Amino acid sequence: MFDRHQDLKTIRRCKRGEEAAFAEILARYRGPIYNLCYRMSRNPEDARDLAQEVFIKVFRLLDRFDEEYAFSSWLFRIASNHCIDHLRRNRMRFLSLDGVAGPDGEEFELQIPDEGPGPDTVLERREAVSRLEEVIADLPPHYKAITLLRHQQQLSYEEIAEVLQLPLGTVKARIHRARAQIQQMLADRSYDI
Amino acid sequence: MDGHDQRNHQAGDGLSCPDCCLELQDYLDGTLEKKRSLSVFLHLRECESCRVDHDALRAVFAGLEALPALEAPADFDDKVLASVPYAAYQAMASLRRERVPVFLEEQFLPAWLRARATRLGGLLVTAAVAAVFIAGAGSGWLLAPGAAGLAPELLCRLQSAGRRLVGLSRAEG
Repeated sequence: MFDRHQDLKTIRRCKRGEEAAFAEILARYRGPIYNLCYRMSRNPEDARDLAQEVFIKVFRLLDRFDEEYAFSSWLFRIASNHCIDHLRRNRMRFLSLDGVAGPDGEEFELQIPDEGPGPDTVLERREAVSRLEEVIADLPPHYKAITLLRHQQQLSYEEIAEVLQLPLGTVKARIHRARAQIQQMLADRSYDI
Repeated sequence: MDGHDQRNHQAGDGLSCPDCCLELQDYLDGTLEKKRSLSVFLHLRECESCRVDHDALRAVFAGLEALPALEAPADFDDKVLASVPYAAYQAMASLRRERVPVFLEEQFLPAWLRARATRLGGLLVTAAVAAVFIAGAGSGWLLAPGAAGLAPELLCRLQSAGRRLVGLSRAEG
């Protein structure tokens, strides 16, 4: 999915002092990292801050990047750990500006990108996305990260093992458990997606 | 579960319902080996209860993969680039270069060769020393470079073990 060779060339240019090279890295990974941070925090402002901190951290640690690994793996590792640390520091639920209280007092978000006027199916789809986002938000941080790396960033099990520096078997087991938990939570809340 | 049990023997594909359920995630992931995948496929064709489980799980997969991608704020890049200490980084460039001997820099030796060459070189020194000793022609002073030759390999292994440990403790913690 990510061009390892191209990344390496850009990183070397960056280390040589080309400011434009870091802007290229930013342009290439802005979307994936922002999305990962958003799904982890479920708050646009936190996502923006987290993603910015990730890139600044990456820049500061560039000299420590080991070229034997893919840059994307290193970047996702920093981003996942940063988000997990953030979630553990702030165990409170994050409120969206447009968040509304559910029947049990929990907050869930209805802020979905506006895709223009649409039929019932569009509305149903949005509600399904919102329900799934709510369930993902309630997963333990490390399950959340592994699920997003697999399903949103489309990383293979092997790539996730490299990102999280875990044995392949552990990665598989955790993804299986995370999905089973999502399915259970959807069933418990009578959510239909 | 009753539905599963009733259908268990009717499917005739050698796969029990509990086994089928265990394989469903790998089946949908496309990571199941071909023969096993075919067994699951055949079982699902025959077993309605497993098919219900399969469809529910497939909906989860589809939902996760259809989560909409979001755009980062328009000023995202500007804010990051403004916060990146680029001037300081450039000012430190000479110091960074001094840390690595010139002949080891990437333009002289590519990174992959640099790491492997150092480790292989060390192992060759150790092997040469061992050979001299086995041949009975060595003296005590050769032991030091022989032991030192193992250092790069040991350091690399210690480093990767450390990485794994840190990764594990982070993930478990």
